[in-house]
Amino acid sequence: MPNAGQLNAGTKEMQIKRSRSFRKELSRNRFLYGMLVPVIAYLLLFKYGPMFGEIIAFKNYRLADGIWGSAWVGIDNFVKLFSSTDFYAVLRNTLVLNVYHLVFAFPAPIILALLLNEVRVEWYKRTLQNLLYIPHFISWVALGSIVIALLSPSTGFLNYVLELFGLEPIYFLADTFWWPVSFIASGIWKEAGFGTILYLAAMASIDPTLYEAAKIDGARKARQIWHVTLPGIRSTIAILLILQVGKMMDVGFEQVFVLRNNAVSSVSEVISTYVYTRGIVNLQYSYTTALGLFQSIIALILVIAVNRIIKAMGERGLW
Amino acid sequence: MLRSRGANAASASGWLRWLNFILLASCAYATLFPFINIIAVSLSSSRAINAAEVFMWPVEFNMEAYKNLLRDGQLIVAMKNTIIITVVGTALNMLFTIMASYPLSKSRLKGRNAMLMGILFTMLFSGGIIPSFLVVNSLGLVDSYWSLWLPGLMSAYNMFVMKSFLEGLPEELEESAAIDGAGDALILWKIILPLAKPVLAALTLFYAVGWWNSYMNVLIYIRSTDKLSLMVKLYQMIDLISPEMLRAGEGVTQTLITPEGIRAAAIVIAIVPILCVYPFLQKHFIKGVLLGSVKG
Repeated sequence: MPNAGQLNAGTKEMQIKRSRSFRKELSRNRFLYGMLVPVIAYLLLFKYGPMFGEIIAFKNYRLADGIWGSAWVGIDNFVKLFSSTDFYAVLRNTLVLNVYHLVFAFPAPIILALLLNEVRVEWYKRTLQNLLYIPHFISWVALGSIVIALLSPSTGFLNYVLELFGLEPIYFLADTFWWPVSFIASGIWKEAGFGTILYLAAMASIDPTLYEAAKIDGARKARQIWHVTLPGIRSTIAILLILQVGKMMDVGFEQVFVLRNNAVSSVSEVISTYVYTRGIVNLQYSYTTALGLFQSIIALILVIAVNRIIKAMGERGLW
Repeated sequence: MLRSRGANAASASGWLRWLNFILLASCAYATLFPFINIIAVSLSSSRAINAAEVFMWPVEFNMEAYKNLLRDGQLIVAMKNTIIITVVGTALNMLFTIMASYPLSKSRLKGRNAMLMGILFTMLFSGGIIPSFLVVNSLGLVDSYWSLWLPGLMSAYNMFVMKSFLEGLPEELEESAAIDGAGDALILWKIILPLAKPVLAALTLFYAVGWWNSYMNVLIYIRSTDKLSLMVKLYQMIDLISPEMLRAGEGVTQTLITPEGIRAAAIVIAIVPILCVYPFLQKHFIKGVLLGSVKG
């Protein structure tokens, strides 16, 4: 603890610092500010530049005219967007896939972490973890290709197993019922293992005396999990759940892009793939920017709302 | 703590522990099986593949699919491209992440909070695919790798991870070095960065894996077929296998090659580099994830 004299000296020094001119501050920390210059240039050009570029949602953008030169059209692009059936289809697909994800994929790492947490043989636990993390590091293109191969109606292994049981082969990726199932299952395959890291860390920080107390009260394993482990990771679950809700408007582009095909476009076309096809491929820049802006604004509102909720729950907010 | 955990384990009923043991082993098996299967398929004959006979071990072992891919050469070119994209991209990422996080970890720096808010906002609201494309296009970067590297110079999330790590380092270290006459650059190089090695390793890994797997940005920005990355090439190969790629080598019967086999071999080639470095890196990334969760 610093004594009063040191504290006084500290405040004095701070006052002197504050009274220094900005130029002096700059020259004193020129190394630090110098490092920030390229970073600021990067942020302005590649992060804030595109945000400014969103104004083309209110213009009829033509490459030849540029962002400034293109004619203003007010909210025409949004009128066109909200009156198209495509918009409601891709919005619905995006939300539906996210709801499936919340219901089926979100609990997977929690269950897996609960199981892993009960393993007391350290080397076995570590080996399992390392194996379960692997798919997280593989790209969706490779994983999706493996999924396509495994689910192939003619040469895929899964349909071979179905045939062994005398069942008809299923066109998993060409059927509007099975496509979302395959989509969510492959998502679990990639991320469930890696998702356990945060839960396992939360479980490791639970006070062991709580388990002792529960045992003295006669609680069996299942009750210990219910009354000690789950409450111990409750805040982690809450924060990750809310973060997931904050991402409701976004489905990963690559996973959809790799797994989709024309037979299931009615359930697989989501906002990001639609923006890519209509914007980058078909060059409808203003129309797709309007859709992108709509998506970004809803996402921003969701994240801000989510942060409020986290703080209201007494947890530390995201900012 | 360790002792009480042991006591806890001893009281758990035996069969439950075995059930858990087996359940987790099945999960791990289910996770790995698709990989094992695809490797086995890539090494099997076309007859066995078409009959869906391949399970976990190659049937009628042969390397024709790999020989075809090597002879065709496109995938090798794509892999070289991906190595360039990954090495340069990761180096630039680390440079910019350090350049942003080190100054911003100093609470004495004026304008720090404004800048942090400015970076945080880029995580919450993005300009979207099309406006980003138009910016890159107006700079004339399309079809150059700079169109990948420049827009992705730094991940705001990783910057915050690094910043909170640096904030945790004791300030006295720097102060004593400054008294000894070391300049800011020397302090950063000789004192700060060596201490930050664990987080530097984790972030390098995250960035490098991201670049190795890069797909969407390449799809949008790279037009020349000889510049495409491994993952985009792989995607194209899944879509269509050209007839000449199915050409058999000298003295090999046509029946040994099938599109499924070639696809499987291409997938294996794309993921093997990651699997090879995985054992060396897995200890770092857990640290990275946990560091990120402290201040996300």
